[in-house]
Amino acid sequence: MIRCEHLKVTFNAGLATEKRALRGVNLSIPQGEFITVIGSNGAGKSTLLNTIAGDIRSSAGRLYFDDRDVTALSAAARTRDVARVFQDPLAGTCGDMTIEENMALAYGRGNRGGLRLALNERLRQLFREQLSRLNLGLEDRLDAKMGLLSGGQRQSVSLLMSALQPSKILLLDEHTAALDPKTAALVMDITDQIVAEKKLTVLMVTHSMRQALDHGSRTIMMHEGQVAFDLSGEERSQYGVKDLLNLFAQIRPDGEELDDDKLLLGT
Amino acid sequence: MSLFSFLGTLEIGFIFGLVAVGVYLTFRVLDFPDLTVDGSFTLGAALAAALILAGVNPYLATLCAMFGGAVAGLLTAWLNLRFNILHLLASILTMTALYTINLRVMGKPNLALIAEPTVLSPFESLGIPNMYMKVIFVAAVVIAVGLLLAWFLNTQYGMAMRATGANPRMAQANGIVINEKIYAGLALSNGLVALAGALFAQTNGFADSTMGIGTIVVGLAAVIVGESLLNSRSMLVIVFSCILGSLLYRLAVSVALNADFIGFTTSDLNLITAVLVGLALILPHFRREWKARKAAQGGAA
Repeated sequence: MIRCEHLKVTFNAGLATEKRALRGVNLSIPQGEFITVIGSNGAGKSTLLNTIAGDIRSSAGRLYFDDRDVTALSAAARTRDVARVFQDPLAGTCGDMTIEENMALAYGRGNRGGLRLALNERLRQLFREQLSRLNLGLEDRLDAKMGLLSGGQRQSVSLLMSALQPSKILLLDEHTAALDPKTAALVMDITDQIVAEKKLTVLMVTHSMRQALDHGSRTIMMHEGQVAFDLSGEERSQYGVKDLLNLFAQIRPDGEELDDDKLLLGT
Repeated sequence: MSLFSFLGTLEIGFIFGLVAVGVYLTFRVLDFPDLTVDGSFTLGAALAAALILAGVNPYLATLCAMFGGAVAGLLTAWLNLRFNILHLLASILTMTALYTINLRVMGKPNLALIAEPTVLSPFESLGIPNMYMKVIFVAAVVIAVGLLLAWFLNTQYGMAMRATGANPRMAQANGIVINEKIYAGLALSNGLVALAGALFAQTNGFADSTMGIGTIVVGLAAVIVGESLLNSRSMLVIVFSCILGSLLYRLAVSVALNADFIGFTTSDLNLITAVLVGLALILPHFRREWKARKAAQGGAA
């Protein structure tokens, strides 16, 4: 489904602040696979996601969706295939617009009809049905402003929005990191439901080792702009958080201490 | 205030209602503070007057004026999007350039439309007294534009435009090409402002190179007055609150200028406007501070 061939991204090329965020990533993700992505800060996890989404242009390498070369496509054009949920609950929705308007915007992803009314009774019914799945009572508040909802509620609605249009790829960038543990668990539940139901190909960046092992079917660890480890199947099912931490130690042969508190604590 | 000056106030209030919705589109919908309107209002008046004097059908001339305004808006958007010039500065550049262009279009600083046909001509034979007919005509045009605009902002395209201003990143993640929406929004906004200029020239019988000065502040005043009166999520209510704001603003100014005991003259208009808009912007700030202080005291007690 997704194929990265020697993907490279360099920020501020040629300047003193040059940063090689991706250093030739090769990754092949089959249709319907749910990959979790871990790695310390600056390892290139978010850059990889943003490059797949098209927010960042790769400086070398090629990117394919279903054998279609999408390297040159803009972010807006890629939204035909790609839906995403951001880490910041405020980023994925418009606070000034109502719940139904936000959902109508997401419903228009990929096939914008131009001068037709964005909302009608049929759509409102669909939105109510979808919202009732969250058990948050939002189905009765379609015309409430998005800005009135809590972070967890907004993130849950963002997830529903990402699934309103048939897309193939879902990119989750630490989408539970800003939530309290209980809400995070709820949002992860909804994530698993939607992914299973829509048979999506998923990349989920997470800082929690536990989350990385508990969800999806494959885990990759990024380090210095490359895929350092790629775990799946039998091997992965036997891994615990401790084993992952050991892996971390291995990829840093210079004895560099694991200084990322979030990574250690995020069990 | 005499009936005659009251009707005149309504007429100008309705015409500037178009400016208000144009300003609402840029300042509020797109979050793009656009000062081009000072130039595009005059451009609309200048194009309409010059074309009518050249013998062009007044309706066609008005259409050309709107088109001219739209091009001015596109120019501002292009300077901002293509070359990363700050939106305020880009719009000031366009506005400055338009001053010269307007003089060129008119050929002299002032054009009078006295005996020439205007968009009002076909209605003059209906038997309604002229001063009523003018108000009814501009009201009908402005209300029609308001209805169309409210409908537009609820279409998929219009909603995408609102998302572009409210949260560009989210808009892009949902497949909205944001630059295209900004171009379209600025063209639409300045087209409406130019339409206001064209109507003003034809109802008042002249176009003047300095008539656009302060248009932006008047438009902003109307938007703010409207917002403080009606707080709604409905696009229809919001668009018409801009028009209502424009009418109320004009009435307030007219009362202030007509009250002889205050001693204002028409040349004081811009100062009055600036003070009114300033107050409208300052008061909510004080109200928030006052509320916060009251809440703090309540918590301590």
